[in-house]
Amino acid sequence: MAEAHSLENPRLQHHFRNADQQFSSSKLGMWLFLFTEIMFFGGLFVAYIVYRAWNPELFTMAASQLDTVLGAVNTVVLIGSSLTIALAIRAAQTDKQKQIVNYLLMTILLAGVFLVIKYFEYMHKFDLGIFPGAFYTFEGIDHPKANVFFSIYYMMTGLHGLHVVIGIGLMIWLVVRAKMGDYSSKWYTPVEMTGLYWHLVDIIWIFLFPLMYLIE
Amino acid sequence: MSGHHIIPMKTLISTSLALVVLTIVTVAVFYLPIPAPFDVVVALLLASFKATLVGMFFMGLYYDEKFNTVVLMFSFLFFIVFIGITLLDTLFRDSGISVW
Amino acid sequence: MSAATTNGKTLKVRYFDIEENPTEHYLNAESGLKSWLFTVDHKRIGLMYLASIAFFFFVGGVLALVLRTELFTPAENLMTAETYNRIFTVHGAVMVFLFIIPSIPAALGNFLLPMMLGAKDVAFPRLNLASFWIYSIGALFTLVSLGVNPVDTGWTFYTPYSVQTGSAVILMTIGVFIMGFSSILTGMNFIVTIHKMRAPGMTWGRMPLFLWAMYATSIIQVLATPVLAITLALLIMERTLGIGIFDPALGGDPVLYQHFFWFYSHPAVYIMIVPAFGVISELIATFSRKTIFGYWAIAMSSLAIAFIGSLVWGHHMFVSGQSELSTVIFSFLTFFVGIPTGIKIFNWLATMHKGSIDMKTPMLYACIFLFLFTIGGVTGIMLGAISVNVQLHDTYYVVAHFHYVMMGGTVMAFLGGLHYWWPKMTGKMYSEFWGRISAIIIFIGFNLTFLPQFIMGSQGMPRRYYSYIEQFQTMHQLSTIGSYILGVGFVIIAVYLAHSLMKGQKAPANPWGARTLDWMTSSPPAQHNFNYQPVCNNGAYDFHKPIADFTLGIAEDEHAHEQKGDTIKQQEQNV
Repeated sequence: MAEAHSLENPRLQHHFRNADQQFSSSKLGMWLFLFTEIMFFGGLFVAYIVYRAWNPELFTMAASQLDTVLGAVNTVVLIGSSLTIALAIRAAQTDKQKQIVNYLLMTILLAGVFLVIKYFEYMHKFDLGIFPGAFYTFEGIDHPKANVFFSIYYMMTGLHGLHVVIGIGLMIWLVVRAKMGDYSSKWYTPVEMTGLYWHLVDIIWIFLFPLMYLIE
Repeated sequence: MSGHHIIPMKTLISTSLALVVLTIVTVAVFYLPIPAPFDVVVALLLASFKATLVGMFFMGLYYDEKFNTVVLMFSFLFFIVFIGITLLDTLFRDSGISVW
Repeated sequence: MSAATTNGKTLKVRYFDIEENPTEHYLNAESGLKSWLFTVDHKRIGLMYLASIAFFFFVGGVLALVLRTELFTPAENLMTAETYNRIFTVHGAVMVFLFIIPSIPAALGNFLLPMMLGAKDVAFPRLNLASFWIYSIGALFTLVSLGVNPVDTGWTFYTPYSVQTGSAVILMTIGVFIMGFSSILTGMNFIVTIHKMRAPGMTWGRMPLFLWAMYATSIIQVLATPVLAITLALLIMERTLGIGIFDPALGGDPVLYQHFFWFYSHPAVYIMIVPAFGVISELIATFSRKTIFGYWAIAMSSLAIAFIGSLVWGHHMFVSGQSELSTVIFSFLTFFVGIPTGIKIFNWLATMHKGSIDMKTPMLYACIFLFLFTIGGVTGIMLGAISVNVQLHDTYYVVAHFHYVMMGGTVMAFLGGLHYWWPKMTGKMYSEFWGRISAIIIFIGFNLTFLPQFIMGSQGMPRRYYSYIEQFQTMHQLSTIGSYILGVGFVIIAVYLAHSLMKGQKAPANPWGARTLDWMTSSPPAQHNFNYQPVCNNGAYDFHKPIADFTLGIAEDEHAHEQKGDTIKQQEQNV
């Protein structure tokens, strides 16, 4: 009988009763995964808040080393990529195969722009001797815990950057599958799930930006 | 099934425009002379508003099963529990408050 | 064809007979090593977990016996203080991360959860397999770390010592980090399965209490484990890069590490014990032949424990130098955990009251659980009081307390559950006689091991020392002898279960007359649990109905969702 199912809808796994059940299960699963991501980043936010509450003056001094313009540009870049992936999902829902690929490529491009800007930011800091942790040699900030601020900065932006890289990987895989015509209004679960993931990466940056770059 | 809702083009475009505008506002507010604790509060309120927009319209929570929103709310709740109770220690460690 | 009323709606159902001793079942549907290692069948994955945790329980248990042997006299019997540090660390880490956290959820939970719901499998079978493999890879890292340079920090990896020590902290924590993901994925899978995969008629209020317990456990797994992951990631960064968040030498705060660690590890205590509560609810209802007393009270108290348990982590840190304000608040909140736990105990006792109690091996374990867990729980409440805690902190009193909870609670419930579901899993019965004998031996051995530790602890014997002053020698020797008796009990279990596997009598589909859906299948179950879409017509504890009336419905058409999709959907929405 399982075969009968698969003839009707090749995407329906046999242990689900119908496609709706399967889709809403995947979606709930993804939201729970995002829950874990929030708690995962949450740990770093806790470290950030605790140290900021202890050393408010350090955070004001150290944030001056971060480039507000680049941070703002990156925020807008990520918002743009969130829009394009939402449009990719929309294209899948409306059976526009070509658009799925195009919008995904645009998202990958924007994610790449984000990483390139981040790369230049990092390189600039390394030039100054602002390395993470024990390798910190910068002397421009007169505070005994300056290294801790930049450790937190590197951990948070680094982990976020890692998520961007993973997101790019996922989207490349989506492009390959989309080119094979795998996604349509009948079944586009991976596109939807990657979209949710990508929006979360955006949301985390939306919080990181004012907390890191905009401290007076 | 509500999970398959096709989000209107107009909604997507206006959401992203709103997000860009709010980003500009966030930066502008940074240059305003707002006294110490309130600048962070304003920045976080703006960020939360932006996150809400992303959640509701890009992630489709507005159209989706409500339980998914509950899951998201719980993640924030537990984050607040984590930070809130930790601050009860770190903020008051050297305060000299002796409760007994 | 007959009509059954479910939830106020009438649904046409067909009744069917459960096949006794089927020739084809999940164990022989496919064969070969590959069919096990790459299976997506939740039952086989459950059994693989069972084998793994049995192995690690053996490893941890042998280490415990080695520790107890060293403590037989105050002299250096087997090992140096250095080696002793490593062995108690490994004993703790193996028992916590490799055995007890996956024990009931991953082994019994995987096997039973879909069957109790009337589903063919968990929502994400491949993720379930991935979760097993992630667990194995994590376990591999842990084992490698033992080969390289066993960790000597204690299972909590407290900074700054974990940053300074020369032992293989990074390998060990990578292992635990990886296993954390396995735990997260299992939890996610179970939550989605419970939400989305319930059979028609399986309302929230009809779910077996084991599933409510698993639901609460899964919530904790999903909510707390990521924090462990980030904590260990930061610890690894602290060791490799010196990020200075936790290391006081670089401007960090070691107490913050403890907040991070216990934000996971205190709820993790409930990951360990709440599934045990679920097992006990099943055992007590079935063997008392009575509808469970206070169904919703037990179900909701699991969720309450999950929630309150997330607020009390600082009671591990009363003497760590956290602020006095938070110490008082943590102590205050800790007492609240006692309320839902007490609710459970009283409801179980009320269920047993005037029931027709059948003291089979699983029920014997349930009674042992009630006895030992109550001692463990009440001493826990005592330790939650700051003044007592400061006195007893890091003494054997604490050791005895958490062994009464973890071993007297979780392991006893696990053994009860293992005996209870053994016929379902294997299709074989075990020797009831030896089952009871070993349960009694374990009970005696356990108390002989850990009761003296309460006394020693209250007299000031500190934990984690390989030697002691002579005053404590009698107590330590009693404890060591007790641990040997305990070991004998487990060997007997291993022997008769192995015998049952090979030569055991064939088990009927429902040997205990239980009412939950997992017993409405053959023993062992068919490959897809039910070869049809079952419809649940009765509550999980309807012991007032005769077992003959107690049969599953079957949706009129196997593709009920195609033609009758609306009916089923309506029902689901009603629940």
